[in-house]
Amino acid sequence: MKALMSLGALVGVVGLLLLAGMVFDIIPSTTVRLVEGYMPMQMLFEVGCFVLGFTGLSYMLNAVGMGIPRFWQGIGFWVFFLLYIKYRIYPPIPFSVRAMYGTVALVAVLMWLSSNEEDWKKFKQPILNVLDAQTGFNKFLRYVYLVALPILTWGFSYNAMMPKSEEPIELRTVHPAPPASTKVHGKTYVLQTALNPYRVNPEGKYDQEYTNSLIVEQGMGRLMKPNANPWDENATGYLKYVREGGEIFFQNCHFCHGDNLNGRGLHAFAFNPIPANFTDPGTIAQLQETFIFWRVAKGGMGLPNEGFPWASVMPPWEQHLTVDEMWKVILFEYWHTGYYPRTWD
Amino acid sequence: MGVVTRKKLFSTVALCAIVVSLFLPIVMALPSPATGEEAPVAEGAPKEGEKVEKARDVYYKTEGIVVGAPAPKTTDSPTDYPRYNFESRVLIWFANQQHLYYGSFVLAVPIFCMIIEFMGVMTKDKALAKRYDQLAYDFIKISLTAYSLTAILGGILIFTFLTLYPTFFAYLSSIFRPVMHIYALMFVAESGTLYIYYYGWDKMKEGFLKWIHLSMSVILNVIGTLLMFLANSWIGFMMSPAGVDEQGRYLGNIWHVIHTALWNPLNLHRILGNMAFGGGVVAAYAAYKFLAAKTDEERAHYDWMGYIAMALGVAFLIPLPFAGYWLMREVYAYRQQMGITLMGGLLAWLFIIQATMIGILFLSTNYYLWQALGRMRGAERFQRYIKYLVFLMACGFMVFITPHTMVMTPAELKAMGGQQHPVLGNYGVMSAKNGGINVIIVTTVLSFVWYMRGNKVPTVSWARFGNIFMGVFFACAYINIIFLAIYGYYIPANVRVGLSVPQVASTLSCLFFMFALNSLMMKGAKQLGPIEWGKISARSQYALIMLATAFTWMMGLMGYIRSSVRLFWHVNEIMRDNSPWAYTHTVGFAANVISANVLFFWISILFVFWLGSLTAKKAPVEAKVGVPGAIPQPAGSH
Repeated sequence: MKALMSLGALVGVVGLLLLAGMVFDIIPSTTVRLVEGYMPMQMLFEVGCFVLGFTGLSYMLNAVGMGIPRFWQGIGFWVFFLLYIKYRIYPPIPFSVRAMYGTVALVAVLMWLSSNEEDWKKFKQPILNVLDAQTGFNKFLRYVYLVALPILTWGFSYNAMMPKSEEPIELRTVHPAPPASTKVHGKTYVLQTALNPYRVNPEGKYDQEYTNSLIVEQGMGRLMKPNANPWDENATGYLKYVREGGEIFFQNCHFCHGDNLNGRGLHAFAFNPIPANFTDPGTIAQLQETFIFWRVAKGGMGLPNEGFPWASVMPPWEQHLTVDEMWKVILFEYWHTGYYPRTWD
Repeated sequence: MGVVTRKKLFSTVALCAIVVSLFLPIVMALPSPATGEEAPVAEGAPKEGEKVEKARDVYYKTEGIVVGAPAPKTTDSPTDYPRYNFESRVLIWFANQQHLYYGSFVLAVPIFCMIIEFMGVMTKDKALAKRYDQLAYDFIKISLTAYSLTAILGGILIFTFLTLYPTFFAYLSSIFRPVMHIYALMFVAESGTLYIYYYGWDKMKEGFLKWIHLSMSVILNVIGTLLMFLANSWIGFMMSPAGVDEQGRYLGNIWHVIHTALWNPLNLHRILGNMAFGGGVVAAYAAYKFLAAKTDEERAHYDWMGYIAMALGVAFLIPLPFAGYWLMREVYAYRQQMGITLMGGLLAWLFIIQATMIGILFLSTNYYLWQALGRMRGAERFQRYIKYLVFLMACGFMVFITPHTMVMTPAELKAMGGQQHPVLGNYGVMSAKNGGINVIIVTTVLSFVWYMRGNKVPTVSWARFGNIFMGVFFACAYINIIFLAIYGYYIPANVRVGLSVPQVASTLSCLFFMFALNSLMMKGAKQLGPIEWGKISARSQYALIMLATAFTWMMGLMGYIRSSVRLFWHVNEIMRDNSPWAYTHTVGFAANVISANVLFFWISILFVFWLGSLTAKKAPVEAKVGVPGAIPQPAGSH
């Protein structure tokens, strides 16, 4: 047990040193890399390791008679978590999300410290000591708080009320709701029921199962299925349409959306936000194919009111491409990313 | 004929009369009385020789004879939208929400009464049976005054509709005419049953009469549930109309109008929601009485009452997210744009607030249970591990509330390098959120198991094996849920949706199997010490009040979300809302109105509680030390 706790304590100390290095900009956040594709799990894993490390550290400090009081354990853990999400995670997390996480962490810390009477008493004791002011030091602290708290409150109020020239926050809607139907090149498409005419099996019938079986494999690398190469000269049907869609994509779309469809094309960083990353599971993977058709056809200008602040420079491709070409591009995008269009069956 | 036999006879006749009255709606539903025609020809239907016009049902796609007028095309005029010098939508919102709060409460509480009264009847321990009976009576007493208020608020709601939205209400009434009076008659049946149930409590407290009394509670709840189903059909129709053609003309099939795409998910979601809400309100009542109690005996009674109400409420809270998930899935399947508006678009941030409220509900529940361990001697052994449960819950909570649409400045957006954050973006999709909420629920189940074991040690011969099995079972459930949440990132969305089934299965398996196994293991268990009812921290009672407030706020929020998803439609895609208020409020404004509704409800329910306390006789109480492990004596009697 002691060995395990010692190991935990070691992990805790190393982790704290690394974090301190990142906070003071001595070492970059990327020193311990967040592995692409596994970042969300890595973050939770790291926090879990820290918790176990702190458990070990606390155990060892108690064993040598240098235990940290509950009050400071709670405050310390909360401060640690705030620093972790600000300095360890990259790219930086927006303040609104950090505020949410920080609040949850604070509530969790308070729940932990008040989960039983003994801990709750230990947590309250330093606060009560200052309020009771039985010693000179506590009396001094009480005066400090008496002066400092109103000043802090005044400072926060002043800061909150003072007019600022900061850019406003934006509640950008990533996926504005589409209309029930859309008119493209004189024909009306009902988005709930319309189908991609090129998503067909060898018999020429709409077949999602067949076409899904031919998309590239998901994972760290994207591998084509055996005998499913759209660039094979003999490719017919669905695969031929994918190739045609690919050609249209590389002639028109890849400058922004990138040759790996990850939204990092040549011109991408001229825009804010950068173009949509189709390889992210939060974009085309969770939308019906008709949604993409509507977005491609109408572009940024066709975004509804809900799409505020309409931060999209995508042209309305219906002015440049035919309906068939747009369907083929969409076919290619799903094929290349290895995602299926969303269905409800 | 003896007095008892006469009573039995009278009770049986009363019960039969109530059952017969239940069939009244079916009679009313027959074409003649419902439409006022002698012949079974629907109102508005063509007479003989007239040309029959047929049209296609917008949802069922079946053909039917047009028997109704098209949905009116309203204009912003005093005829269609008469108004006071105030926003009509907010007035109808307020009236509706208050009616819903009270309606939910009075539908839920009789279900609790039925369960508790049944527990009392089945319990062999006479003293305990009496206490259960007293508790059930306390519950129904609370709901009785609320019942009158529900009816008053229902009247206010109808008058508000008639005065502010007359054209829309006339159209809705014309569609639901065949069942409108059934609804009203069922209210009469509900009231009659409730009054007999309440006032007959003392007269029917033993033997056969008690069973009659219990049967009446079943009937009461059947009527209440049917009432709610009917009311749900109106909102179901407004969201996902059926039984009418594209112009909104009624096609003569009332079942199609009622049984819309979202009716069943709404029904299930509302039953569970009402129950959880009712439990929360009663628990808050008990918490308030506990905090105000003057004697140990009172504290013990209200501590026990709060625990029972909380346990019942949470029993329905646990499956609630799954019912909500089903509802949302059906919404998406019905209309993609409606689903996206809700969860990815305009209303997405309200869903984040909803997730936060759900998290608060579970955190409060767990916190209460951990505090409750403190009133058991021997439960200290679990308390040192609570911090790990807190960690699990906090991780699940953070994932659950991570928004897909993040609020940020353009500079933050640029620094992030795109709309999707590579670390947090994945928490924003359903796969991770399902993982988050399931982890929270399994942890809640684990807390309950610890609570059940608090002051006991199993003595069955297979206790060691049972403990290991339970530990492994919980570990496997966590691993399965988390693994599937991660796996969901790498597979298509439609397959990912399917992963929720094994995740939910893991959670429900923990719920049912582990509770059952734990109960078996606890049979004849060695008691380490008594449960000292009343000796619980005040913090636990604030957690109960928090639980109830969060329920109330969340109900207001979800009602607003469900209603706003229609955007500028009174009846989705059939009847357009052309009033000046056919826009979506800002998140801040909506939150303020919801808070005002919550505040008004709690002030008014406090008044109801106060009224209820006036009827209670003051029983002589004497402070005495509770018998170890015994359920406390009720503070008052009826």
